[in-house]
Amino acid sequence: MILKALFLFLLSCNLSYAADVLANITIQLVKTPITQGEFQQEKRLKILRKPLISKGSFTYSQSKGVIWKTLTPIPSLLLVNEAHLLTGQGEQAVPPAFGKVFKAMLGGDLQQLSEGFVITGEAKKSAWRLQLTPKDELLKKIISSMVLSGDTELRVLDIQEVNGNLTRISFAQITHPEQLTHQQQADFERLSP
Amino acid sequence: MLVIGVLGSRALTKDWLETGFLALLPVTEQKPEIANAVQQHNELLNRKVIWLTGAASSQEAITQARQLKQQLQQSGLFKTLMLELPIQQTVNNYQQLFPYRYQLLDAETKRTLANNPKNLLSQNLETLYSPMAQILASDLEHDPLLLFSRYFNAQNPLKLNVEQGVVVLHNANRFWALLLTDLQDEHLQLDKLETLLTLVNNATAQVQAAGGELMVTGMPLFTAYGADSAKQEISTVGVGSSVGIIVLLLLTFRSLRPLLLSSLAIGSGLFAALVACVLFFGKVHIITLVFGASLIGVADDYAIHFMCDSFGAKDWQPRQGLRYIFSGLVIGLCTNLLSYIGLVFSPFPALQEVALFSAVGLLVAWLTVVLLFPLLLTGFRHTHEPIMLRVARYWQQHWPIWLLKNRRWLIPIFIVFVAGGLWQLTPRDDVRLLQSAPATLLNTANKIKQLLPVSQENQFFLVSGRDVNDWHHNEQQLLARLKLFTQQHELMAYQGISDYWVNEQNQHSNYQLLSKTLYESGLVKHYMTELGFSKQAIDIELKQFSTAKDKTISLPEWLKTADEAKQQLWLGCDERRCLSMVSLTGVRDLSIFPTLQSLQGVTWVDQVDELSSLFARYRIRVSGLIIAAYMVVFIGLGLKFGWRNSLNITAVPVVAALVALATMGWFDQLFSLFNLFALLLVLGIGVDDAIFFFMADKAKQKDEDKRVSTSLAVTVSALTTLLAFGLLAVSSTEIVHAFGFTVAVGILTALVFSPLIGYRTRDL
Repeated sequence: MILKALFLFLLSCNLSYAADVLANITIQLVKTPITQGEFQQEKRLKILRKPLISKGSFTYSQSKGVIWKTLTPIPSLLLVNEAHLLTGQGEQAVPPAFGKVFKAMLGGDLQQLSEGFVITGEAKKSAWRLQLTPKDELLKKIISSMVLSGDTELRVLDIQEVNGNLTRISFAQITHPEQLTHQQQADFERLSP
Repeated sequence: MLVIGVLGSRALTKDWLETGFLALLPVTEQKPEIANAVQQHNELLNRKVIWLTGAASSQEAITQARQLKQQLQQSGLFKTLMLELPIQQTVNNYQQLFPYRYQLLDAETKRTLANNPKNLLSQNLETLYSPMAQILASDLEHDPLLLFSRYFNAQNPLKLNVEQGVVVLHNANRFWALLLTDLQDEHLQLDKLETLLTLVNNATAQVQAAGGELMVTGMPLFTAYGADSAKQEISTVGVGSSVGIIVLLLLTFRSLRPLLLSSLAIGSGLFAALVACVLFFGKVHIITLVFGASLIGVADDYAIHFMCDSFGAKDWQPRQGLRYIFSGLVIGLCTNLLSYIGLVFSPFPALQEVALFSAVGLLVAWLTVVLLFPLLLTGFRHTHEPIMLRVARYWQQHWPIWLLKNRRWLIPIFIVFVAGGLWQLTPRDDVRLLQSAPATLLNTANKIKQLLPVSQENQFFLVSGRDVNDWHHNEQQLLARLKLFTQQHELMAYQGISDYWVNEQNQHSNYQLLSKTLYESGLVKHYMTELGFSKQAIDIELKQFSTAKDKTISLPEWLKTADEAKQQLWLGCDERRCLSMVSLTGVRDLSIFPTLQSLQGVTWVDQVDELSSLFARYRIRVSGLIIAAYMVVFIGLGLKFGWRNSLNITAVPVVAALVALATMGWFDQLFSLFNLFALLLVLGIGVDDAIFFFMADKAKQKDEDKRVSTSLAVTVSALTTLLAFGLLAVSSTEIVHAFGFTVAVGILTALVFSPLIGYRTRDL
């Protein structure tokens, strides 16, 4: 039960990473202001005998944040940027560094991620894999590691919690449109009051 | 004097200065419970200083805030400095309250359960499937319904972004790290405030040098700036007026003696007044001191009239001079005493104090002049004829003639001026006008308020009840209405502890509600099975629920887990009642709140408004008393010198006061209680001027010299008063400026009109 309280105080700290690997991957990654696609999230919690699987779509905007739209099994909308987090239940406290890290992961902003995590990894010609270990003592108590893998895009994100819970998010149908749709714009509008 | 000195050394060793404004209320209107609440409310506000370091990235902002914290820590000025949120405390609170999760439901959860319990379950699913489930539902194992997560979140309605344990705010292009500090003590001592100002200035320079920005706000800062600017002004004005007065007296008398003697008269008067007040009332209010000090002008008047008389005779002897001006001094004293003593007949304690202070001060200053001056002025003679004397002679001979010659057109102009000015005169009693904070400070405060909408309003509600249950019921009624206001965007947020701690009775009903809606109906079992909990986990949860049936948490226990801001809201219980405060944040229109007082046990406390209306009542009362006092003076003089003479004499101060008021009207000056104290001074000096001219005219030896020495005295006295008080008109603090302006205009007018007294009898 302390976890909840601990989460309130996560950190995201200094640097030190395999600079060349990062540079390599950064070159491979397609970087555009807007990324969108579909996701499947699979959560395996130790206390539950079956995984929680949800599907939906996401939109990443470099300037505005992230729209996370779950379609099944329970339709819901989550909007997040550095400063705000909006769910179906209204404005929520942004968990420490969550907005930043989540956005950085979806946008492939490795520079940003390296502030809070020790990054090790390997980059082959067409595929790469990065392991992120939190630097902060508090975060270490909750998350043991995060693994990002992909090619020109981020394809899979694994989050391994200390207590054994595991979350895997896979991305598909990734595109880089020039502009946000009206609906997407309207959603982001709600984030910046 | 010895007696006064001894009494004074005793009386003034105690804590004798009163500064709280509630002490200004008539005794019948003072409510101790409100005073307590206000004090508790202010105690917190008066100590808080909020610092925000801004930079282009949150990392830089936090680094700067850390450096700032260290620097502030070294100053020793602060009791607490909070940059990193107190994590261990949060964990402890969580653990202490967790066993009561079935009893402590937040209002939203309760509403959902009552209306549609299934909604609660689908909201939970939404949370569990979201990418943030780790954070929002980290305790799913022990709290499958996430009841406690909901309660814990609702305790902090403000959603703040926390990085590295530090609250980081974000606006257009900057990140701001928040540092909260509490000053060592809430009595804002001047030297501490100066240290604070220096600290703010140094820190600002340092942060800027590092490429960042610093914003600071808080009550102590406003007080510090106010005290600082007042001090600077008073010292500038003080130096100016002291130099002016010294030069004036030296030029006139070519001797240091008058200077020392007037200081003696003023000093002994003020000291005796202070001692008398402390002995009689136990404490002196600061407002009494400020306005009692205006008495200096009147006390000085006696001394100057005496000393100027030395120019009235070739071979001047102090005793002889005294004999001549004695009746003038007596009448002057009587009228002055009358005008101040009238204030005694008022229910307002401060006015009674001012009355006693002034009466004693005047009497002692007068006695010093009458008893000691003849001795101390022995051998005080002049061989020179000061320029002032020549000016005064020329002026008193020609000025009245000119005035009388042109009265045909001067009088209509005068009447139009006075009537027009009075017509435009509008009283402004808002105490906020008394505060003159620099614009930059106000801007920063507003910017911070937008970034961080936590700063409470000065106004709050006081809720009472016969016992805890009655109080809880009353506060809940109020909070329900406030909830409506927030939905109508009249109010951003409110805080009352009955939203977080529910009384035992409601704790039971919360449990019953859960039991009825989710547990007995089998919904919990279904929900947990669907999610994939094991049979065993479900059984544990059901068992935990049933064993928690009779658990309750008392208010004192709950308060131990609450943060300081919430603890401050509870004022405690005595045999008769329980009391709490409800604080407000982000109010749009204050006028809608007093109507909520119709609710049982609810009182609206608006110190600003109350103080403004208090000043208004003081103003009206003082006006009435001044008018009454002058009626008495008029009648007294009329009985002694005849009605026509009485009218002439009282006309001078009355006209001076009217012109002062009219000029305020024309120039749209601040008109409040404080101008009236200035008018008291004008009236006191005006009537002295008139009486001395009148007495000079009545004097047996009909030589011009007496009129000349009188006009010299009137001029010198007017000039010293102008230098001492009129100079305050240059102040940028509106209240000080208004005081100086009133004195300046009034004294000049009295100076202009007083030579008319006794002139007409000569029939030119």
